[in-house]
Amino acid sequence: MMNSLMIAKTGMTAQQTQLDVISNNLANVSTNGFKRSNAVFEDLMYQNLRQVGANAAEQAELPTGLQVGLGVRTVATSRQFTQGSLQQSGNALDLAVNGAGFFQVEMPDGTTAYTRDGSFQLDAQGRMVTSSGFPLSAGITLPPETTSITVSSSGVVSAKLPGTTQLQQVGVLELANFINAPGLEPLGQNLFRESVASGNPITGTPGTQGMGTVMQGYTEASNVNVVQELVSMIQTQRAYEMNSKAIQTSDQMLQRLSQL
Amino acid sequence: MDRLIYTAMTGANAAQQRQQVLSNNLANLSTPGFRAELSTFRAVPIRGDGASTRVFAAEATAGHSDAPGAITQTGRNLDVAAKGNAYFAVQALDGTEAYTRAGALEVNTEGTLVNAAGLAMLGDGGPITVPQNARVDIAADGTVSASVGNEPGQVVGRLKMVEPDADNPLRRGDDGLFRGPGGDPLPASDVARLQDGALEGSNVNPVEAMVSMIAVARQFEVQMRMLQNGEQNDRSASQLLNVNG
Repeated sequence: MMNSLMIAKTGMTAQQTQLDVISNNLANVSTNGFKRSNAVFEDLMYQNLRQVGANAAEQAELPTGLQVGLGVRTVATSRQFTQGSLQQSGNALDLAVNGAGFFQVEMPDGTTAYTRDGSFQLDAQGRMVTSSGFPLSAGITLPPETTSITVSSSGVVSAKLPGTTQLQQVGVLELANFINAPGLEPLGQNLFRESVASGNPITGTPGTQGMGTVMQGYTEASNVNVVQELVSMIQTQRAYEMNSKAIQTSDQMLQRLSQL
Repeated sequence: MDRLIYTAMTGANAAQQRQQVLSNNLANLSTPGFRAELSTFRAVPIRGDGASTRVFAAEATAGHSDAPGAITQTGRNLDVAAKGNAYFAVQALDGTEAYTRAGALEVNTEGTLVNAAGLAMLGDGGPITVPQNARVDIAADGTVSASVGNEPGQVVGRLKMVEPDADNPLRRGDDGLFRGPGGDPLPASDVARLQDGALEGSNVNPVEAMVSMIAVARQFEVQMRMLQNGEQNDRSASQLLNVNG
């Protein structure tokens, strides 16, 4: 059967993946700390039907060969860890990382997950937890009578207690970073997990060793650019259409052949 | 039966292969740095005794288009687009030096600068490694600098870029990467420049591909008509000879 049917099929599959990725980006346009991804394509292998330079006759060589590519494949969905815009929320427990680095969150199974979403809450025991209820790895617990809380740009969490003038330090936040952050495995719930591709986490005090600083009272918005996504969506749709046209044309050629 | 059916068959076969090449170009409409495959029909005359009336057609790919693809601004510091006719050097899986226009770079676990397929980008002195936690910036001449925190950036290498010309043409291999004539590395170019924060798209011209596809479908139809004519001629001839006719 004609190869072009399968080749155009790979094109349609790739565009479909691209549309899936765009839809996910658009769906998360107002998710705190969300990082957009895009599908990266690569051409598939080539078939050398006639080798260029092969002997056509004793003294003659073929000036051009026949090389047919077999289509396209999605090689990766690359996540872009560019800074999202910081939005002032006024909530003392909303933290944002300005620069590189992730907050470290302790999962129920004891492993550590990483997030850029710093809209924290307090649970019944006074622990700082994510919106999904997972506590910070630093294990910061606020005394029940706390009147106000301050987080410094270097991650020192202090609580103001009634009847005292001095702030009481209750914990220190550390950030983690990875040599290849796009290699992190997304877990959902705004969390990422370390993978073989991301490398080991490098922890550090905010503001040192290339880590970003912590901003209290801000949340980091999603870094999805709606205009960019919409333009990509148009491109994807048209490319999909043209590939379907290639299938249609191949089908018509086959139809002619079978009508002989 | 008339031998014309074999001549028409090579025409139909060539049209079908042209359709494959066009489908592959269309499938790679959004592959970064993809170079469109060019195709030509070749005439293969059959020489022998008597008048040489038969010329077979064969499809051939004459190389790739060097037209620049559309540049998209991505703002990502590891996305680079080669300007002009420059190509980036990567280390192919077989260990040889190969060239590509795709510039969506990544840093892998070992800190080596790699392309989206995981192949190491080659600098003037082999693969380029960046330190941990570094912000990587790539200058217009391919110089890679890494800065940690607020420290000034340090040069860690320079992306090797080559500019093929008529004496050193590039050919596409089975893996989709380009290689120099005879597989030898090309000399690094001093004048090749890149644009950082941008990605080059595919240089497939969709208009041209769609129009060629219409042309090839019609051409295929004509070959089919020739086959039908051959069959009709044969039928008329056998009717003439038919004693009962």
